[in-house]
Amino acid sequence: MSPQLLILLAFTMDLISSFISILVGYKAFKSYKVSSAKSFLYLYFGFTILGVGIFLRAIIVTFFVLIFRIMEDIPSSLLSLSNFAGIIFTATHLVAYSLFIATYVIQAGSSGQQDLGVGGAVAAAVFPVARLFYIPTLELLAITMLGFVVVSSLMNYLHKRSLNSALVFFGFSFMFLSHLLFLFMIFDEFLLFYGQIMRLIGFVCLLIMLARVNRTHV
Amino acid sequence: MSKKHKEYRSKIRIYADILNSLLRHGGSSGPTHLLLGANLSYDRLMKHLKQLIDLGLISEEKNDNGRIFKLTDKGRAFILEFAKIEKFAEAFGITI
Repeated sequence: MSPQLLILLAFTMDLISSFISILVGYKAFKSYKVSSAKSFLYLYFGFTILGVGIFLRAIIVTFFVLIFRIMEDIPSSLLSLSNFAGIIFTATHLVAYSLFIATYVIQAGSSGQQDLGVGGAVAAAVFPVARLFYIPTLELLAITMLGFVVVSSLMNYLHKRSLNSALVFFGFSFMFLSHLLFLFMIFDEFLLFYGQIMRLIGFVCLLIMLARVNRTHV
Repeated sequence: MSKKHKEYRSKIRIYADILNSLLRHGGSSGPTHLLLGANLSYDRLMKHLKQLIDLGLISEEKNDNGRIFKLTDKGRAFILEFAKIEKFAEAFGITI
């Protein structure tokens, strides 16, 4: 797989993920307008912030990857800027996860280089830049927060035993797995790509849930 | 039938219960059936029925047998929308 194709794939996956996230957020907003239940409002802000965060990260990471590939010497100011953007984007995820936690709380009340192989070599051409946008400490925080959300959605599934609640549980679980892979990117940079796949699968689970909800008949 | 605690029913849930009760009776019914279907006192039912009329979700007609409440198209659309919201809420464990 060529680096160009990898960039395009990663960009497309992020774009689809952000679109689904905003779609779920829109549904939550519509539900809030009818029911005035605050949990929907948290869900709306959570998914919208998450979607916008993923969308902006996709565009800016792709831009930086392309810029860094054509530049011989990368100015330190540009590196600092990409690091700063990474902190901002991860922060949007943390805000979104905080809102998901609020939704459930209300209801309950190295970078060490290794032999990466051929795929790894391609990844190494793309991901050293993309990696700047992932901060291990913040990823740990995201994992902890999303862990709470996953457990809450599991409890909800065990209580309701419905396919829709299972899809939400799987959705959050795959997002949780994606953050684990982003964290372990310090060992193998190709894990970023797998992490993006996991996140996309998570959002597809949410999309299936949304489609099922919209097919409801009386 | 005993419950450990009495569950609070939101206004929107009460509206949905009344409208669903009407739907079960073919779209029109007198207050007696609605009292049982929505599990409300007469005074509270009348208060909510007036609000539903003001919202255009039901209409009221008077005949020889008394008052008849009819589900409007807007009311039917509300029932469908509420059913979708209920499913969405259930998926995330949200109580409406």
